Amino acid sequence: MVTEEEIEQVSKLMKIDIDNHKEYVEKVHMMINYFDILDSAGVESEEISMPEISISKLRKDEHIPFDDKLIEKLNHYKGTYVRAPKMSS
Amino acid sequence: MTMIGLEIHCQLTNLNSKLFCSCKANYREFEINENICPVCMGLPGSLPKLNQEAVKKATIIAMALNCTTPEKIAFFRKNYFYPDSPKNFQITQLNIYGDTSVGGTGSVMVGDKKIRITRIQLEEDPGRLIYEGSSSKNQITLVDYNRAGTPLVEIVTEPDFETPKEVRDFLNILSDILANLGVADPSLEGAMRADANVSIEGGKKVEIKNIGSFHDLEKAAHFEITRQKSHHSRDIEIIQETRHWDDKRKITISSRSKEEELDYRYFLEGDIPWVKIDPEIQKKLQTEMPESISSKKQRYVSKYNIPAQVSDVLSSDKYYSDLFEEAHTESNAKEVANIITTELMGLVDTREKRKASKFTSTHLRDLADAIQSGKVSRNSSKNALHEILKSGKDLSTVISELDLGNVSDESELSGFITQVISEEPQAVEQAKSNPQTINYLVGKVMQKTKGKADPVMTRDMLKKQIGV
Amino acid sequence: MNLNISALDYIQEVKTGNISAEDFIAKTIERIQSVDDKLHAFLSVNDDAINQARVIDKKIKSGEKVGDCFGMPISVKDNMCIKDSKTTCASKMLENFIAPYDATVISKLKQQDAIFVGKVNMDEFAMGLTTEFSAYGPSKNPWNMECVPGGSSGGSAVSVSALECVASLGSDTGGSVRNPASFCSTVGYKPTYGLISRYGLISYANSIEQIGPLTRTVKDTAFMLNLISGIDPNDNTTMDNKNEDYLSGIESGIEGKKIGIVKEMMGEGIDPAVLTATKDAIAKLEGLGAVCEEISFDMVKYSVAAYYTITATEAGSNLARYDNIRYGYDFPLEGYEFNSYISKARRNFGPEVTRRMIIGGFVPSAGHAGKYFLKALKVKSKLTKEVNDAFKKFDFLISPTVPILPFKLGEKIDDPVSLFLVDINTVTANLTGKPAISIPFANSNGLPIGIQLMADSMNDKSLLQAAYALEQTVSLPEVPI
Repeated sequence: MVTEEEIEQVSKLMKIDIDNHKEYVEKVHMMINYFDILDSAGVESEEISMPEISISKLRKDEHIPFDDKLIEKLNHYKGTYVRAPKMSS
Repeated sequence: MTMIGLEIHCQLTNLNSKLFCSCKANYREFEINENICPVCMGLPGSLPKLNQEAVKKATIIAMALNCTTPEKIAFFRKNYFYPDSPKNFQITQLNIYGDTSVGGTGSVMVGDKKIRITRIQLEEDPGRLIYEGSSSKNQITLVDYNRAGTPLVEIVTEPDFETPKEVRDFLNILSDILANLGVADPSLEGAMRADANVSIEGGKKVEIKNIGSFHDLEKAAHFEITRQKSHHSRDIEIIQETRHWDDKRKITISSRSKEEELDYRYFLEGDIPWVKIDPEIQKKLQTEMPESISSKKQRYVSKYNIPAQVSDVLSSDKYYSDLFEEAHTESNAKEVANIITTELMGLVDTREKRKASKFTSTHLRDLADAIQSGKVSRNSSKNALHEILKSGKDLSTVISELDLGNVSDESELSGFITQVISEEPQAVEQAKSNPQTINYLVGKVMQKTKGKADPVMTRDMLKKQIGV
Repeated sequence: MNLNISALDYIQEVKTGNISAEDFIAKTIERIQSVDDKLHAFLSVNDDAINQARVIDKKIKSGEKVGDCFGMPISVKDNMCIKDSKTTCASKMLENFIAPYDATVISKLKQQDAIFVGKVNMDEFAMGLTTEFSAYGPSKNPWNMECVPGGSSGGSAVSVSALECVASLGSDTGGSVRNPASFCSTVGYKPTYGLISRYGLISYANSIEQIGPLTRTVKDTAFMLNLISGIDPNDNTTMDNKNEDYLSGIESGIEGKKIGIVKEMMGEGIDPAVLTATKDAIAKLEGLGAVCEEISFDMVKYSVAAYYTITATEAGSNLARYDNIRYGYDFPLEGYEFNSYISKARRNFGPEVTRRMIIGGFVPSAGHAGKYFLKALKVKSKLTKEVNDAFKKFDFLISPTVPILPFKLGEKIDDPVSLFLVDINTVTANLTGKPAISIPFANSNGLPIGIQLMADSMNDKSLLQAAYALEQTVSLPEVPI
């Protein structure tokens, strides 16, 4: 059961303001409820697997500068800084 | 009982490129936001491409700290929002699905005490925030991402330290080890940072972050122990929390982080498959590992008969031990060690001085050989060393330019001797009756040659000419 | 000029001088101008396309070496980066984002003298299967404008189907190429995970998604794969396919091949017309010498729940970078504190993305990961085992691509769970990393039906051979627009 408070807390965690909690609660609730089906899959003992790569296939340690002045294509401020909002103390 | 645990972050400053892209690992010489690319800026569509050498170097560190090294390592995402983190998650390591961090449990000896290592993980450094404006009201936050993605090794210890002094000793040993491995230059600004977990008997664990230097770490630990003990004695509960080190006031301050911000939602980084480091590669890394500090020390003592204390100093600083290794021969080893520990150390004791000096191992070898063969006196060798550090000229040039060479040419020396004999008839007579007093005449010759006369030769020639 | 030709035919015509690249591109642009007001496949059109075609024509005339595409017009889903072009992911969040680099697939196609006629519509950040969740308005199905074109690569399928390009690049996270291909009667391909570099594809659920071509014919798909597949140093998850030629031997046929009919993908809720078409396809394959037999997978039932749990989790993390600080849209930061600024800025995500992000924050969180996220990963592992086992016995698996016919715009938009079930047949290939293809097979009262074939990992070549064989049995009407 997902409560409105939980939704609000998660929206804070994910850093998205939402206006209409009720509407979100309803739909998110429907979706998450559907996930309850996973409880009956009987997979508790299953191991999690991942693709693998050999260390020898990884990138060589070379310095290759990016061929453009990237900062000029991004938001910049006072020369080449990026500006962020004020941080709370 | 006080318990202190550490989380040490060490940049792999000797790598050429960042952990997941080909920007430079050592970001220090760039203009603001000049050392960036779509990958380390986390631009839409970019993917991490793992640096092979970073994995190897991190594995070597794990081996040097006697940690287990798994055959497969995995990367995880640590999710949190902060402006210095371009993706708003950090790629790091964790042991959720078995031991998949680059290093498992290990240990380091600090004197007679064993400090246990919990885990070693390879991860990316964030960018740097710069605050402008005096008050919090007009504060402006600026970000420089040059550092973002720099390869970082995090070494987590068990809470095995009981005093701030033990912490300092450990960190000194650790930074010597890392430098000796050739993986990092711990003397670089910001290359090594540490957080501490401090708790006293009956209290909860308190994490201290934002400690700028090892020196401050000792102070922070000390402050925190005192604070906790004082709380305890007044029956104030010590809560589990994160505190920040206030560099200006030299105190720790509680940072009020909300509960929900602490949920990092760790999960496997799908963009990096599990990396296989099979036994053959591990073996190869092990054999290619630089000789350890303790083994060097032992060798210096047993092979060259260098005193233990000198060997200790020599082996623990990579700069000196490298010089020694390159400069010494079977015959001059002791002299080389002597020059390093008595003369050189006082002259190049900081990273800046080392960088500015033009001194090489060839200089060192020449100098030791020249002293041993009597080409220069020990006295003059100091002047020569100063000049070499400044100019980088080779020893023979320095000797001739500053006229430091020993006067060991017989005809040249005999000129000085004849002069002294004619100027000091009384002393000559005295020497004839009491040969011991010949030293006075030797001294006079030395004066005339500004200390460059070979003393043994001078004495022999004086004796001959006076006839004793 | 006939725009309704395959990529291979186009290349042949240009090579032999029957048509010029410039004429074809000009006609294509005209076509876009005349039909796209109604269809809304394109989010942006390349206004330099005709010039680029001229350059290629010049090269051809002067006998210079010309790339394999000979100026072929390709549309690109707007979640792939083309240097110096707008890449929005159909989101207001990236309204002003100009990509500063080329995706690997884009640089490969540029080298082969392909012309990108434009960026095409999609569900915002590829989250959806109708293209209705585009922040710039839905695309329409050219076969019936009241119906959705499928999604999330809806713009890709519409543009190929409505003759606004010869081929398109889409991306497939849970069916996002195959589903619209099926709804719009084009071929849609989801390769083996790792066959095509994702570098420059804006991640939604990176552990399972792949770029895939949408084309008019199976051969065209093989041709596209030849150009864009292979190991890429910029993507650690790519695999070495040894420069496989997917076109050679494509007519080998499927005699003696074993095909498994997936029981769980033809059951409850399937449209009778889709069922009939699938049975017909099975009969045709048997007629060509294949042996078909039913197979059942226990985990398919849980696959959609696992799929949404995993994709939401990864999306929650992949989309965290959109905080509007380094790039994004105009929204001044003066006066805001960091957390409140980004929380406000991130309101520019549409409702579906917001919902999935909230789920993506919920299911892997400390208190809930064990119930949802970890179980989903385990279902993924077990499903992979089941499918791997099946491929010990079978060469291919068959099912309808989508169990239902294209539906009306707005019909399911408010019912997320009923939309989930539309994915039931396609997500298995993503969760298991297997290649899968949708082949246009039938038409029911003007609405297309696609058949899906799936093969084992790295068996893309034989999968294309089977798809080609099935394709040869089909004769379909022309698109009514």
